[in-house]
Parts: sequence; C-alpha cells; structure tokens
Amino acid sequence: MLDKADMLARKPADRMPREIASGVFWIGDCLAQRHKGKIYHGYNAAFLVAGKTASCLVETGHPKDFPVIERHLNALFARGVPPLKYLFVTHQETPHCGGLGRVLKNYPDAILCGDVSDYHLAFPQFEHRMRWMKEGDEIDLGGRTLMAVEPVIRDLRTTWWGFDTGERVLFPGDGFAYSHYHEDGHCGLVAEEAVSLDLPDVSAVFADLALFWTKFADMNVYCDRLDQLIERLGVRTIAPTHGLPITDVKATVPKVQQGLKAAALMPESGTNEKVVLTGATAG
Amino acid sequence: MSLSTQCEARKAREPQGFTGGIASLADGRLYALQNPIRLDGRVSSYPASARGFSVTNSYLLTMPDAAMLIDTGFGKDEPVIRAQIEQLIAPGLPLSMFPLRLNEFMSINNVESFAGHFNIDQCYTSNPDAALWFDFGAKAEGRDILKSMKVTAVTRADTIQLGKGGRAIDVMQAPIRLIATRWLYDRLTRTLFSSDLFTHVWRDSATGPWIVTEADNDATSMRDIRSFMLNTRYWWLEGVATDSIRRGIGDIFDRYDVETIAPGYGCILRGHAVVARHYQMLDEFLKGCDKSVAVSRYVGRDEEH
Repeated sequence: MLDKADMLARKPADRMPREIASGVFWIGDCLAQRHKGKIYHGYNAAFLVAGKTASCLVETGHPKDFPVIERHLNALFARGVPPLKYLFVTHQETPHCGGLGRVLKNYPDAILCGDVSDYHLAFPQFEHRMRWMKEGDEIDLGGRTLMAVEPVIRDLRTTWWGFDTGERVLFPGDGFAYSHYHEDGHCGLVAEEAVSLDLPDVSAVFADLALFWTKFADMNVYCDRLDQLIERLGVRTIAPTHGLPITDVKATVPKVQQGLKAAALMPESGTNEKVVLTGATAG
Repeated sequence: MSLSTQCEARKAREPQGFTGGIASLADGRLYALQNPIRLDGRVSSYPASARGFSVTNSYLLTMPDAAMLIDTGFGKDEPVIRAQIEQLIAPGLPLSMFPLRLNEFMSINNVESFAGHFNIDQCYTSNPDAALWFDFGAKAEGRDILKSMKVTAVTRADTIQLGKGGRAIDVMQAPIRLIATRWLYDRLTRTLFSSDLFTHVWRDSATGPWIVTEADNDATSMRDIRSFMLNTRYWWLEGVATDSIRRGIGDIFDRYDVETIAPGYGCILRGHAVVARHYQMLDEFLKGCDKSVAVSRYVGRDEEH
C-alpha cells in the first residue's frame, strides 16, 4: 500500500489501485465538478473485491473513466488477483454503471448481478449474462461473499448496496456522498487522512448536484437507519462511490451524518454555470 | 445546398389513436419518436409491480435549416430511432441534441452513436464537461467523436434558438428531479418537455395508444398518480415540505401556455383540458404529501403504495 507521501506525489489516477481492506481494492479517478464558481472533486469509484477463486467488481466507474478502470483492473490481475467473474452495480445511474457494456465485453466470463433493471434495454446483447439478486442474496468469491443489503440512502428505487462478508466492507453507492478538495491533496486519501475536509460543505455540494431529495426529507430518520444497518452488519470499512473511503467507522460516520444533516438544511441551489466548450478536454 | 426537413413528414401518422413509431405533434415542426418497452418488473422508471407496456419518447424539433433531438433513447432502439430521424430530416441537416437527464441511459445512451452518424451541430447539457459522460463504448472511435463534439452548457433559466429563424426554446431546471434534469418549453408548438415528470400513464397493450387527447375517456385518477410517484423515483415525497416544489411547477404552468406535455416516457398529454387535469391531479397529490398533513418516515426499498 502506498503511504501518504508517495500518494501525494502522484496524479490522482495513478494513486490507485489502493487496498482499503484486505482484498478490497479502490480504483478509478476523480471527477471535477463546477459549482458556485469553484471546482470540486468527487469520486465515481469502483472497487474490486478479491476472493480465493473469483473477483467481483463493485460499480464500473464513470463513463469517462473506463480506460483508467481497465488499466487498474489489469494491473491487479497481473499481480495474481483472481479473475473477474462478477460485476455488481448499485443502481442504474451512469456514473455507477456507465462502463457496464465494456466490462462485459472485455471480460467475457463476467456476469452482472444485482437489480438488473434497465440494463437489458441499454445493452441487449448482454441480457443472457444478467442475474437478479434479492436482499440477502450472496455471490461466493471463495472465502468471502458479496451480499445485497438494504440501500438506506438511495435515489432510484432499484438500488441495492453491497456488503463484503470477509472484511465487513459496506459499498453504499450514493450513501456517504461528498466531494473533496483537490488543492488540499485529498485525491486518493481515505476520509481519516483528509484532515482539512469540511464535511458540511462538501456534503452540501453533493446534495445540490446529485441528491435532490435529501434537501426535503427528514435526514435524521435515515441517519438512524444507517446506524442500525452498520450495527447489524458489523461494518468495519465503508467504500462509497462518491465519497472518500471510511476506515474508522465509529469516528467518521457521525461526522458524515452531521454533514448530511447540515446539507439538508441549506437551500438547494442546483448547478449550471454557463460555459461553452469544444470537447470534453477543454476547461 | 438545399435542405428540407419535410421530406418524409407525410409518413408520420396522426396522433389520434397512435400506436407507436413517429407521431406528428405539429407537422414539419415537432415529432415524437415513440418506442415500446415491456413493463415486466425490470424497468426502473416504473413501479416494480407495473405490468403492461409503455414507450420511451425522443422528440425531434424540425426547422428548414436545423433540427434538435430531445433525448436519445435506449441502446436497444438505436437503429430504429436513427431510422426515424432519417425519415424526418434531410441528410446533412445540422442536428443538435439535448439529453434532459444526464445520468440515465434512456436519455443519453445513443448520444455517441448519433454523434458519429449525423451532422451534429452541438449538444446542449446542464454540465459543460459532459461530452465523455456519453462514452459507453458503442463505437471504437466513440471517444474521439465525443471529444470533438461541441458541448453547450445551459443554465437553469435560459433560451436557446433553433435555426436561422430563431425558434425559441426555453430551458429550465426541473422543479422536481432525481438529479441534473432540464425541462424545455417550445414556444412555437406550446409544448412542455417534462422529462421524468408526467410520466404516469402507461397501457395494457403494446399498441397503446400513446397520446392522451381530449377526445379520450382518460381514466387516470389522482390515486393513480399518487401510486406511481411514491412507487418510483419520488418515493420520498410523503411528509416533506412540498410547497416549494408545487410553487416551482405552478410557476411554469402560470408562465407558459402549455398545450402539450411531452414526457420522456409514457403517454403524451395533449390538449389544454388534458394538461390542466393532469397538472391539477399532480398538484393535489403534492399538496396531500406536505408535512403539514403527512408524516415523514423512513421509506423502505420495496414498499409499495
């Protein structure tokens, strides 16, 4: 595992893969988002869970990141990580599953698992490789399983969260979603290392950009439910798609929840800075 | 070069009794490209228990010298939608695209394919950096095509012009949404493009009809709308403060003369009386959800109302 000094000397995409728990590798890249005149970084992360006989990719990363994700995956497989046999995506929004078609194409032994709504409409050529999961269903990776669990924070009704029974890692998709400060070197750090992170600020940014409903609902009841889920599953690490991974659940989760509740009280402001660009690389 | 958008307009069927394909909503100006989806518990935009059929709707706005496609449909329909567009516009006509929901396959799945096939003028989005958000690997050279595509970001309250005649299309942030979503209002045809709202009418049969008109005996009730909303992406509404959402929707209907509601999926709602009835039912539902009369609570994933 890279130490923090090594990490900061590298570009964000070169700081991965990072092993956040034994056999659980964080891969992907940051996404810069313009908001209120600033540029915030967020993740659209993917994670590879490696068992003794098989690996499962959780999320596929943002569509723009597929070359990076594929590079990270192949680096892990070259190191002897078991082959990719399963793909689990939390839900159908494209920052979570935009690479799905290319994962299934490039890894022909892999099957897609979870709530597989819509994917037969987007990628009909792979419908025969899609398998439904219900809550509590598990994917056997050899020595550990990936289980579909209650999605406490979600937007689409078809969301499942994932849970690695080996290292007790929770994959909460849109839960624990917050931006981070590129300028402060947060890219590639876990939450506990990003000491200057202002969680109410960065949680509010994500609520504006992606979780509209959290500006209206009573987030106290959702935070209480989160606590119950974490307790019931014995969660030791949290691997969110958009936030930084949480390795000290007891210390950090209350801060994130405080940020979520604070963000809910701030008026929603939306996105939308008018800029005309040619191509994706401009700006 | 002489360009015409009318070359195959005669092939579009009249909306009355329309059963799918190309529906002319205003000859030479606005067409709905409707493609059926089976509701079998595998469509995230509908309740898990919904059975029957619906349609995904892309819309083609045409002018003599330009056209604009609103939403690009699912990948399964790419050849069909491409052919539908080819029926309606002349080869080489500058075509803009405006996917209204940036994070959903139904809206953006075919941007990459169409960018490589048609003479794309620009792609409007709510995010200036969106080009590679559409890179799903449909073509080997897709990333290069997307990188060279002109992306124009629109604000939450904007007006874009289509063609040299300056057909005005008003852009607004959706007053209720899952994520970054835009609504559009076409002044020429008095059509509101409402993306994922007003999507609540589906059918038992694959033959539709897919447009609700004043001549129909439309049986949709407020109870149907309530069930649809709470069993889909707006599951969180009960017991929250809905006044600002109601005000946001109401402002749009106050500001614009809406003759047609053109949702991203489900039946199109056509005619002032139909529009008014469905707006009123939605507003009543939202009023009944407000925290002043309902209690906010944790909503489980598989609860159905």
